[in-house]
Amino acid sequence: MAIRILIVDDSPAMRAFIRRVVKLSGIDVEQYFEAGDGEEALAQLRANPIDAVLTDINMPVMNGEEFVRAMRAEGPFQSTPVIVISTDATSNRIHAMQALGAVGYLQKPFGPEQLRNELDRVLGVVHE
Amino acid sequence: MSDLAGTAAVAPEMDGLIGALLHSCGEHLLETMFFTPIFDVADASAAIGSPRVVSRLHFHGKPSGDFEVDADPGIARSLTAGFLGIDESEVTPAHEDEVMAEFCNMSCGSALSSLGWVEYFSLEAPATSRTHEFAPAVEGVRRAFLLAGGTLAVCLRVVFEESQSAE
Repeated sequence: MAIRILIVDDSPAMRAFIRRVVKLSGIDVEQYFEAGDGEEALAQLRANPIDAVLTDINMPVMNGEEFVRAMRAEGPFQSTPVIVISTDATSNRIHAMQALGAVGYLQKPFGPEQLRNELDRVLGVVHE
Repeated sequence: MSDLAGTAAVAPEMDGLIGALLHSCGEHLLETMFFTPIFDVADASAAIGSPRVVSRLHFHGKPSGDFEVDADPGIARSLTAGFLGIDESEVTPAHEDEVMAEFCNMSCGSALSSLGWVEYFSLEAPATSRTHEFAPAVEGVRRAFLLAGGTLAVCLRVVFEESQSAE
């Protein structure tokens, strides 16, 4: 099943890298959407059908914590899987993001295999 | 656990641990996201006075500190091409600025996350610049790596405020 992914990161270079890694991972993607901060991401969610969100934490305007909190407060997006992609893998940060509603956490650096495993896990994809 | 009174850089006995982490985190980052192997350890002071592309950031938290990355201009270009998946001839200075900033951000965050006694941290946005005569702006634990075509170095300075401690 082809999926629609929203990539949220203030760095265009990092968004391009994530797109590239998704392609390398072999995940079947129907469409990529991008946002440079949480506010743009909410606008993308309201305007487009999105199956999974990959988000950074440190961003201007609306950071990842504020974004996930706002997303979970809106009915239509309460169950959309969110994977956090961050350099910060301290237990305090991971627990805080999970408490807000993130279901996946990927620490930078990461490669195609790690991204695929995490996306498969949160989307419930089983490979035979 | 060793208490560090007042505002002080990390205790000297921690330098070896931090240096080893800078090496392992840098190696993992370069191989995983920049598709670049480390050939050897390089002389950490050899780049002083040479042209370098430099990215540095300050981080807040428990503890706080500074992080700096410096690279030969050719290495900055090749790393940028590897990260973006483009040919080196297509790399612009703006690309380099952004990718070196990302390297600084990820390298610092990865090292801090690996230090068990770091409770929390927040990275400020890195700033990238170019210099014809590099002089380190961060006085901390510095490690340099030999890559294909030049060197790259990272430097971490960790500062404990009064009442903070490291295990």
